[in-house]
Amino acid sequence: MSVPEKSVDSRLDEVAGHIRDMKTDSLSLPDILNLAEIMVGSMQGFFGHVDTAIYKELTDISDFIDTTRTEIGRLQPGNLKDKHIPEAGLELEAIVQSTETATNTIMEQAELIMSADPDDMPAYHDTVQGAVMEIFEACSFQDITGQRISKVVSTLVHIETKISTLAEALGSALSETIEDEEETAEEKRKRELILNGPALEGQGIDQSDVDDILSDGASQDDIDALFD
Amino acid sequence: MAVDLSMPVLVVDDYKTMIRIIRNLLKQLGFTNVDDAADGTEALAKMRGKRYGLVISDWNMEPMTGYELLKEVRSDEGLKPTPFIMITAESKTENVIAAKKAGVNNYIVKPFNAATLKTKITAVIGDF
Repeated sequence: MSVPEKSVDSRLDEVAGHIRDMKTDSLSLPDILNLAEIMVGSMQGFFGHVDTAIYKELTDISDFIDTTRTEIGRLQPGNLKDKHIPEAGLELEAIVQSTETATNTIMEQAELIMSADPDDMPAYHDTVQGAVMEIFEACSFQDITGQRISKVVSTLVHIETKISTLAEALGSALSETIEDEEETAEEKRKRELILNGPALEGQGIDQSDVDDILSDGASQDDIDALFD
Repeated sequence: MAVDLSMPVLVVDDYKTMIRIIRNLLKQLGFTNVDDAADGTEALAKMRGKRYGLVISDWNMEPMTGYELLKEVRSDEGLKPTPFIMITAESKTENVIAAKKAGVNNYIVKPFNAATLKTKITAVIGDF
């Protein structure tokens, strides 16, 4: 049982004064017990306070772990890893494949038209008509590709929602613990070789900007101004 | 002096379809002697074995990028004078500046059209 702090202080003063008044090198057993009782009471108060703080910390940690476990469970990482992400990957591969097939078909037909002999008009007409039909058919890839892209976007939205929920549950704990990641070899290569990749609409520069930069009239100041 | 359309032209791109597109455009423009390479390393080897009148290169390739190829070409006394056009989706200002500093003769942003290709080739090697 803890002793109130004020009482402890006053009682300690009281015992200390009593000991001083005795003006003796020896203390009676009741004096020592009295002092010990006050000291123990004082220490009980200290440890009682520490116990409560530690208990609260441990409870908070336990709650945090419990929440994290629940949210990670809701993420269904196994489902994401085994189903959603592989499926999105397959969709993207299919998109690459179908666009490549369509492009090749269109180019083959265009090359056929280019190489057709216009002097033989009936044959030329048949070649062009046939090639144009093939080109129209090949362009149908766009419809399927659009649907595949929609599925991939849905997967990304699904993952984003799950991650956002987890981030929300973890709160500030995330930003406090995440440190800057070390640059990978691939990132270093991209940075050094200025491999930015295609820019999104409105984010890159167009051909006329490029021409301005390359024109003899562009000074270093003009170029520097582009970075401002 | 008119441009010799039979001069060797080297197209460098790791995407076969793009090589095919540029080859066809060059053919339409009248060029009859076009080679291709899939990256900077292959291009450099070809350039050291044959004198090209024009190099048209993509930027983003592996293992050697078009940017590295350009710097290699400009640092090689034998290859240094070769006209070099970059055709790339890299459309950040820093890319164009870096290419200019490395000695590129012209820079085309993908997607591009036949008219742009012709204009840039003309600007680099003259009318044809």
